[in-house]
Amino acid sequence: MQKINKNAVLALLSLTSLVFLLFQLYYYKFYLSQKNGAVFSKVRGSQSGQDSTRWHVVRKFLGLLSSHNIPVYLIDPLILGLVDKDFEQIRSSPDGPSPECKYFCAPRDFTTFALLDKTWKHEVGLFRTAEKMGFQWLKIINKDPRLDGMDDLSGIEIPLHYIFKLASHAIHLVVFYERSGNYLWHGPLRLKQHMDRKFVPFRKLHFGRYPGAYEKPELLLVSIDDLKVQIPKNPSSFLEEMSHSRFLECRYREARAFFQLYPDDASLDAVEFRKKAKSLLHLAALTLNNLGVKFWLSSGTCLGWYRQCNVIPHSKDVDLGVFIRDYKADIIPAFQKAGLPLKHKFGKVEDSLELSFQGEDDVKLDIFFFYEEDDHIWNGGTQAKSGKKFKYLFPKFTLCWTEFVELKVHVPCETLQYVEANYGPDWKVPVKTWDWKSSPSNVQYNGVWPVDEWDDVIQIY
Amino acid sequence: MDEWKPNPAIKPHKKRSWYLAWKYKLMNQRALRKLCQTGAVLFLLVTVIVNIKLILDTRRAAYEEEEESAQDYDDEMLNVEVLRHPVSNKKVLDVEVYSSRSKVYVAVDGTTVLEDEAREQGRGIHVIVLNQATGHVMAKRVFDTYSPHEDEAMVLFLNMVARGRILIFTIKDEGSFHLKDTAKNVLKSLGSQVAPFLSWRDMWTFVGKKGGEVYGEKHAKSPALSTWGDPVLLKTEVHLTSVEDAECHWPDTELNRRRKRFCSKVEGYGSVCSCKDPTPIEFNPDPLKDNKVFDVPVAVIAGNRPNYLYRMLRSLLSAQGVNPQMITVFIDGYYEEPMDVVELFGLSGIQHTPISIKNARVSQHYKASLTATFNLFPDAKFAVVLEEDLDISVDFFSFLSQSIHLLEEDESLYCISAWNDQGYEHTAEDPSLLYRVETMPGLGWVLRKSLYKDELEPKWPTPEKLWDWDMWMRMPEQRKGRECIIPDISRSYHFGIVGLNMNGYFHEAYFKKHKFNTVPNVQLKNVESLRKDAYETEIHRLLGEAEVLDHSKNPCEDSFVPDTEGRVYVMFIRMEQEADFTTWTQLAKCLHIWDLDVRGNHKGLWRLFRKKNHFLVVGVPASPYSSKKPSSVTPIYMEPPAKEEGAVAVPAVAAAEQT
Repeated sequence: MQKINKNAVLALLSLTSLVFLLFQLYYYKFYLSQKNGAVFSKVRGSQSGQDSTRWHVVRKFLGLLSSHNIPVYLIDPLILGLVDKDFEQIRSSPDGPSPECKYFCAPRDFTTFALLDKTWKHEVGLFRTAEKMGFQWLKIINKDPRLDGMDDLSGIEIPLHYIFKLASHAIHLVVFYERSGNYLWHGPLRLKQHMDRKFVPFRKLHFGRYPGAYEKPELLLVSIDDLKVQIPKNPSSFLEEMSHSRFLECRYREARAFFQLYPDDASLDAVEFRKKAKSLLHLAALTLNNLGVKFWLSSGTCLGWYRQCNVIPHSKDVDLGVFIRDYKADIIPAFQKAGLPLKHKFGKVEDSLELSFQGEDDVKLDIFFFYEEDDHIWNGGTQAKSGKKFKYLFPKFTLCWTEFVELKVHVPCETLQYVEANYGPDWKVPVKTWDWKSSPSNVQYNGVWPVDEWDDVIQIY
Repeated sequence: MDEWKPNPAIKPHKKRSWYLAWKYKLMNQRALRKLCQTGAVLFLLVTVIVNIKLILDTRRAAYEEEEESAQDYDDEMLNVEVLRHPVSNKKVLDVEVYSSRSKVYVAVDGTTVLEDEAREQGRGIHVIVLNQATGHVMAKRVFDTYSPHEDEAMVLFLNMVARGRILIFTIKDEGSFHLKDTAKNVLKSLGSQVAPFLSWRDMWTFVGKKGGEVYGEKHAKSPALSTWGDPVLLKTEVHLTSVEDAECHWPDTELNRRRKRFCSKVEGYGSVCSCKDPTPIEFNPDPLKDNKVFDVPVAVIAGNRPNYLYRMLRSLLSAQGVNPQMITVFIDGYYEEPMDVVELFGLSGIQHTPISIKNARVSQHYKASLTATFNLFPDAKFAVVLEEDLDISVDFFSFLSQSIHLLEEDESLYCISAWNDQGYEHTAEDPSLLYRVETMPGLGWVLRKSLYKDELEPKWPTPEKLWDWDMWMRMPEQRKGRECIIPDISRSYHFGIVGLNMNGYFHEAYFKKHKFNTVPNVQLKNVESLRKDAYETEIHRLLGEAEVLDHSKNPCEDSFVPDTEGRVYVMFIRMEQEADFTTWTQLAKCLHIWDLDVRGNHKGLWRLFRKKNHFLVVGVPASPYSSKKPSSVTPIYMEPPAKEEGAVAVPAVAAAEQT
């Protein structure tokens, strides 16, 4: 009796085990089909069938777009990285058949393309054809930032991203918009509540975590893995640009609230000053960009952008920041050539450098050079008559793009900390009298220049 | 199993197979058997546990993956659930209609769909069209049939409404003074028994189906000229039909899908919603060769006059060389119907929250629209500005394409306008002729981006200033002596009768007889001579060849100009200084052209046509062209009329008053 019992138990357990094993197998399979292989792509990526799937999906997608006459270009960082390595060869043999599928078969979940908004007409037909070809697609729309700065205009929402999915591969189509300041902008990818969160692993997308700003790229038609495709003419500089393309929109709503509290100065003087400041900033940006010197809006100009999305009419100058590592000796001659004579130069490259240029009608351009330390960044100030030195401390920051007076310029991404360091917690309240030696909340006394250096570190013209 | 070590205490049974031996041993050795069984059980248990754990792990990993993949990308904004109207299967609608001197309202199933108790507006017959299947309001109109021609508009509208729709009428204040028999007959044909006898200050309500039954009618007669009829309130029930009966069956195309969406929402657009033979909503006019304005954005400034917008967009989209992608319609206010019209044509529309009131509201709307246009098309150097109450000439873009380079190159130009203020049927003749004028006509014009961005936008009148934007733009501080280029025959036609500064009398007096070009592909003459200096040469040439008219005759008389064709004549009027327009205003008045302010002048010179002859008027001595005056000629002086007649803008004021 005991023996039979034990055998029965044994059999039962074996059966249970078998059931579990089967269940596990089923679950594994179910999971795979649901995720489209995305999660386990590393495992499956090695299979050659999978490789050619990617190529086929890309080929189908390019066919779809060319049949609707929609020009797109490749911006996939992974593929552009591979292309960049063999760039000379690819460029020199635009039509040669490729022996192996080297680029479009590379393991990845997405292939990313860019589309310029103004080059297509939003035809609905495209999506119908896509569906016929077996694509599933997702459209991500949002507010039009070009109308964001405007009082209460409600435009139609604009498409920012499209995702086309076929089999286990997906195409991410990023829509680029031209904006004032002669640059291209793409929006962030944000899912609305009703959207399918599992459509693709959104986290792995290369574009869409933040909005981005780019120069208009020059394009090149190449043949990669037997597919004709447009790519940026200089892939490596595109990839470099991509790595710090993050864009900050001005805080238009807060700016409106600010103007509710403190109505804007619409006097003729204010209008005139803004006009001059704008053209001075345009000229400065042109000059510095030509030299390849990276700069950002600093002090009052930065505050104006952050607080009111405009030049502060009583600020009387334009302030820019430049990292001292980007300093070039040609800066002064270049500005002089542009019609902006040097007004004064304080400090030296090693310490507290500051340049001022004389713009049109008393509008001054100040360029402050910033020195990086381990845990903070600072720039210096000098009082001409006493030779006293001051130091302005800022928490570390990175640079983001933004649009200001129809110009694509850098601002510190951590703008609030930057502005607060400079102007204290009450930066929201306009102050007309400002003393650069005592008013800033981050100012520190930094000794006095040795008298024998004065001729060098205090130059006034 | 090679490692298996038989128990040394037992001797192997050599003749049996290895397996059997093992089995035998197991069966015989209790301890060993028990051990094996326990081992197996343990093994199985472990398998089960590991399996369960694995499943849980996979599930958790997958869940996390999903969570992670999406959380960064969640829209921060809370999506408010769209409240959907419950689809009622109700077959009967309760309708309430009220008519009185100072207030009208219409309620459908307890929801007020019309309520107007504003003073000094909304006079006349209010008409509401309901969808016979859903009961939704498809159109709301008011026809001020106290004023002339509004009844014609009402007849037009009623004729356009599809059969089967439910019509609701109610009168506010007065609706019979200019309600002619035609209109009364149309109302009668709809089933109204009272309409033919409607008279001064009667109150009236009526609900009926077009081409079908009457649901109710009430009427209150005015007892005396000086008083109004008693208010009337009509309560009735309307039976709904099925949705299929209320829709047309067009072939399923993208265009027809747009059409269907439009036609199920709104009424009063006539054949565009006709089931049998709908009018096209895509026009495909001929492209222009070498079109210089293909990439110029077109801003259409609109309010809540959807029928005007419809007419305007039809003419705009039919103009040769139009590029629909560059068109944006800016709607002042969150009105649905204008947006429906915009979507019908597949264009993009932007709504603007109204800021301020009256003129200031219009002017803020203009500013927002212009700024938005240049934001949306950052590459554009120009923008074409149109209004919703304009017809656009077939060669509008051709006209601009031929002249736009002047605006780019000639700094002394302020704008190019499609409108000639003085171009009436009897004073405009040559479609290929252009002028330079010191005024800014508007009504279809091109704005240079640099002018807007550098000069106008920063000092645009703020919302608290009740200024007309166009008057402001005409001020010397803004215009700074610059001029606009205009055609002799206008490329736009102002058809709006209702508007902020507009009414029937005013329109008939100043806009109705305006000449409008209908000839396609007009080749403009001598465009280069419109440049600043070249134009002076041209004027001098013209004055040199002009025949001086007989200054002893009355310039208002037709006989002042000889019965010739194609000649150039000149007359001289008195104009003491630059701002002395006394004689000009009188002359303009008797010539029946624009006389409300001075338009169309260039350095004291006006150019127009009379009896198909080019007719020049020079103001002496203020004009630099006075030197062309023969010494024998005395400039004509015309006396301004006595004061009480001087108020020319009276009709505008009078019509706005309550009766």
